[in-house]
Amino acid sequence: MTAPEIVFHEVSRFYGEVLGVNNVELKILPGITSLVGPNGSGKTTLMNLLTGLIHPDRGTIMVRGLSPRDPERLMRITGYATQYDTAPRSTTGFDFVSTGLILAGNTKKQAAELAWKALERIGMTEAAHRKVASYSKGMRQRVRLAQAIAGDPDVLVLDEPLNGLDPLIRAETVALFQEFAAQGRHVILSSHVLQEVDIISDRVILITNGMIVAEGEVHGVREEIHEHPSQFMIRCRDASRVASLLFVQDHITEIKLHDDRLGLLVMTRDRTEFSRALTEISLDGYTIESVMAVDANVDALYKYLIGGSE
Amino acid sequence: MNAAFRFRQTWVIARLHLGRVFFSRRSFWVYLLAMFPAVVFLANGIQMKIQHRWVPSRATPVALLESIQEGAREDEVIEKAGKPIKDRSFQVKNKKHQIRHMRYFDGERWWDLSFRDGILQRKHSRRIFNFTQDRLAFAGMFQFYYLRLAIFFGCLGIFANLFRGEMLDKTLHFWFLAPARREVLLAGKYLAGVIAAVLIFTVGAILGFAMMLWPHHAAQVTAYWQDQGLSHLFWYASAAALGCIGYGSVFLAFGLLFRNPIIPAIVVLFWENINGVLPKLLQKFSVLHYAQSLCPVPVPTNDSMPILIRLLISPADPPSTFTAVFGFLIVTALVLWVASWIVRRLEINYDTD
Repeated sequence: MTAPEIVFHEVSRFYGEVLGVNNVELKILPGITSLVGPNGSGKTTLMNLLTGLIHPDRGTIMVRGLSPRDPERLMRITGYATQYDTAPRSTTGFDFVSTGLILAGNTKKQAAELAWKALERIGMTEAAHRKVASYSKGMRQRVRLAQAIAGDPDVLVLDEPLNGLDPLIRAETVALFQEFAAQGRHVILSSHVLQEVDIISDRVILITNGMIVAEGEVHGVREEIHEHPSQFMIRCRDASRVASLLFVQDHITEIKLHDDRLGLLVMTRDRTEFSRALTEISLDGYTIESVMAVDANVDALYKYLIGGSE
Repeated sequence: MNAAFRFRQTWVIARLHLGRVFFSRRSFWVYLLAMFPAVVFLANGIQMKIQHRWVPSRATPVALLESIQEGAREDEVIEKAGKPIKDRSFQVKNKKHQIRHMRYFDGERWWDLSFRDGILQRKHSRRIFNFTQDRLAFAGMFQFYYLRLAIFFGCLGIFANLFRGEMLDKTLHFWFLAPARREVLLAGKYLAGVIAAVLIFTVGAILGFAMMLWPHHAAQVTAYWQDQGLSHLFWYASAAALGCIGYGSVFLAFGLLFRNPIIPAIVVLFWENINGVLPKLLQKFSVLHYAQSLCPVPVPTNDSMPILIRLLISPADPPSTFTAVFGFLIVTALVLWVASWIVRRLEINYDTD
């Protein structure tokens, strides 16, 4: 039985002297995993390494027990919707989807049925017999997705899959990913639309300059980053006094008083200690109306982690 | 996933590429290269037929033309043989000498008479329908043009594009993401190229051969056909097919290795053409060495030719037919093995291509 994990072990990849990814150590479990990082951070390199389009200079990769150097077996369980916006000349959407299925050993009839099912799934049946070259950007995106899911893969790799999709199709596509993930499959996607990643991902992998800076569940990742001061917005009546009480704590790095003097923006290095300090302040009779973490979403982590590179 | 399954995959990939190889815009000039000999021999045949029908009314008796001797005067010749079919005069060497060319026809041959200052200097006759000469002309055309240039550049156009063209179009990833071994992809593409090239160039050779035979007398052609004709045609077609198989493997590998396969192809063209003067061992690493050995009619050479030209025309040590075919296939297999090694390591990195 093959291990249902995707494992990157000490993987490095250079493009000449330019770093692609460096010493990546990852274990990706089934579910939706998002690769988040700015342009050139190494997201596509990781996906290309995973699918064998490029090979690591160092380290090893195993995809559910299979090596990416064995496309014959790997691509039976893997579908990859690449960022490359081209299909072979004169290819129709239907041919684009069905060719891989025929090569996988399906008869023409079986391949046609599976291709049609995939095209139906992403709402592309009407344009199926048109040449891919005549498609709009959104249609090309969708037909690539149809090709990736047509073989009913265990591992679905999607490079910026939500780009160019209208809101309705986008919602259906997200539902499709969630359905795949619920069946114990891997869905690995990259995106710049961070709010969507935040909502749909089981896990995120934050990557910048070819290095993994954090990985895990969205909130778990947040916990991993001890060095990163968490931000909290506190609403209280005596904001100046609360600020002075908090400022003596070692874990507090910065406090900003709101203009209305009824709120504070506090940055802390230790959420547990911060929580304890707030409890003590409340017990001392100060009224704390609300406490809200302002950077628990991926966007905040992302901005913090990539710093000036964005 | 057994061998039968991989053969099926190879055929599927080949079938998908065939349409592209046969009908792409890039293939247009491959057809031109392949059909050029047929067009030349067709044009020659048409000209011969037209001449044969048009001129007999103005034919001069052969005995009369044979009786004209060098040293005769212009007016004597015209008095004897009548007005020539063609008559052209001009002056040379600072207008010191008057040159005149006259042409007569005896029903089978052209007679060209050259005069200087009114005196016959040279008399030369040439048959319109010279079967032996035409067969030699075809042999020359096949070895000098067809094998060395047409098949060479045709295969360069077909095979180098199988991978390099897809890299330029940014579509190669489509095949690399298919559930097939890279070697199977290579075999499928190569098979498509071989089917297309062999079909185009063997048909081109057969058509050229047919056009060469067409204007000649039926009895002469039948006699040739019953004697050596079929065997000659078979070996011309075989040499063309093996040329496609050999050059195809080389240019397929070049398409994988080089961003611009034209430059290494020119190096190979040079290598192929100096093959006759290379040491025996090196001669074996040449497509032309084997393909030329299969040609049924040797190109005529004579002692007046420079030795280097003679060496280039004919292989210094031509192998036997069996050795040629076997050696050819060994060289091709070797090149394909190298190509499969390259394709296994090939990466999709369009930005740097």
